Amino acid sequence: MRRAGSTATPPGRVALKTGVSAPRLRRILLAFVGVLYALSIPWYRGGGETAGSWLGLPDWVAVALLCYTGAALLNAIAWLLTEIPDDERSERDSR
Amino acid sequence: MTEFIRFGLSGLVFYLLGLVALAFVARRARGGDTPADHFLASRGLGGFVLFLTLYATAYSGNSLLGYPGEAYRRGFSWIMATGFMLSIVVVFHALVPRLRPIAVRHRFVTPGDWVRHRFHGESGARVLLFGVSVLMTIALANFLFAQLKAMGELSAEVTGGVISYEMGIVLLAGMILFYETLGGMRAVAWTDAAQGILMMVGLAALAAWLLGESRGLAAMSEQILAARPEIGRVPDTVERTNWLSSIVLMGLASVVYPQAIQRIYAARDGNALKRSLAFMSFMPLATTLVVTLIGLAAIPRFVGLGEVAADRVMPLLLGQWASTGSAYAVAAVLVFLGALAAIMSTADSCLLSLGSSLAEDLFGRPRDAVSTTVFAKRAAGAVMIGMAAIAMVARDITLWGLIELKMELLIQCVPAFLLAIRWRGLRATPSWIGLVLGSAIAIAGTVAGVKRIEGVHVGIIGLACNLAVASLGSLTLGWPGVTARNGGESR
Repeated sequence: MRRAGSTATPPGRVALKTGVSAPRLRRILLAFVGVLYALSIPWYRGGGETAGSWLGLPDWVAVALLCYTGAALLNAIAWLLTEIPDDERSERDSR
Repeated sequence: MTEFIRFGLSGLVFYLLGLVALAFVARRARGGDTPADHFLASRGLGGFVLFLTLYATAYSGNSLLGYPGEAYRRGFSWIMATGFMLSIVVVFHALVPRLRPIAVRHRFVTPGDWVRHRFHGESGARVLLFGVSVLMTIALANFLFAQLKAMGELSAEVTGGVISYEMGIVLLAGMILFYETLGGMRAVAWTDAAQGILMMVGLAALAAWLLGESRGLAAMSEQILAARPEIGRVPDTVERTNWLSSIVLMGLASVVYPQAIQRIYAARDGNALKRSLAFMSFMPLATTLVVTLIGLAAIPRFVGLGEVAADRVMPLLLGQWASTGSAYAVAAVLVFLGALAAIMSTADSCLLSLGSSLAEDLFGRPRDAVSTTVFAKRAAGAVMIGMAAIAMVARDITLWGLIELKMELLIQCVPAFLLAIRWRGLRATPSWIGLVLGSAIAIAGTVAGVKRIEGVHVGIIGLACNLAVASLGSLTLGWPGVTARNGGESR
């Protein structure tokens, strides 16, 4: 059962605080998530190189882990900024 | 009989009794026997239950047994699993905000309802729906098979053979059939919620023990590298390409998981859905990373496990942990139940989705009829029995191998969902031709034993061909007529 009046919270609050609209901020965050994904794979090192240790792990593993932690955080914020309307008047039906 | 086995058997009995009780409560809470009530819990799942059911469904026997096994085989590069599990929640951004309102408005029950709605009136729409439904059914049956295999392995390992592999499959599959048939999605979601909590607590306890035993992460890494120094080196180009390919494969294919799509439909409202997905973003760190560490920690402890035996590292670690004292035996049982919970929760979700897809999308039963629910229960039961029988005889297949095969087929449905929801011009006929071509490439690769080419999964290569055919064909055909485009509705 859907609760009356339980449509998605308008994410305008964030826009007021940051001066950037919620949909735009969401897109920026998702772009950063993409960048972190690109950085997580050790393209920046030669294959077969011996790794140093960082944070108790081989350095390229620690970098990947930090990238995924950052991506998780940004992605969670992006979800909170996402508008998922249940109301057909505000539906963005692609068709 | 060791303490671990005794506690394990007692814990198992209590756990199963708890599931039976939950199923009866869910049965009493039902609003009827229509497909919408049985398969979507009357579209009333709130944020907390929705989050836990999404979590328990996404993290399965593959995650709990297969991923530690793969971490044991491949070493540190398996950190990629944390990335590809997170990619699922990232790629959902492309689908959920658009699909959810359409699903609510048109009262969708199955993933096929979207295909039916989107391509309504177009020639080729029925073939596309059939193709998507067949691929989803194969993927779900494969997924179910993997869960049954994992259930059998875990029961046999933890009860020291008191419950054999085969008996474990029969007992637990019977239990799932019982509560799923009795309470539908409501029972599945509620048991998932209980199972999700159990899984989180169990994994956290095991990880804490492993780190404590190894005297911290740095010391654990040293022990791992001392046993297999080569896994600390930077991965070569093929491995890095495979890393990227795995992120794309899992991210795209998991988004069209039928059971995940049905949870999008079953959410109470948009707020509940977005909050659940925000929390889900952190679950790869809380779960996949932990099981990766568990697999890595097994490297110095169990030297020389074979390809298939590596899937047993989790039960082997539990046995070792339990042997260190009574309190640890109880904690190990908690982890065992958590792992079992993860497996059962995924299996029950597969079964529910399988039933609805078979009834509505493949056999064309009406969406709102009670008889559809009855048919779906029977069909799902038949598939469950068939898969259980196969799992009993085909024990020597690695869990990761099964995941890859499933994903490579499922990913071929991506254009019919992700592209179709964002591009009005996508047409049904080129979409099904692309789907057939992509699937043929994925199957041919698997049959020929070529899973990857230079690290790229054959399913991704199939998807590239699929997308090329679907988009170029749609551009050639031009936009559909007014009736087809509007789905026959006046807007």
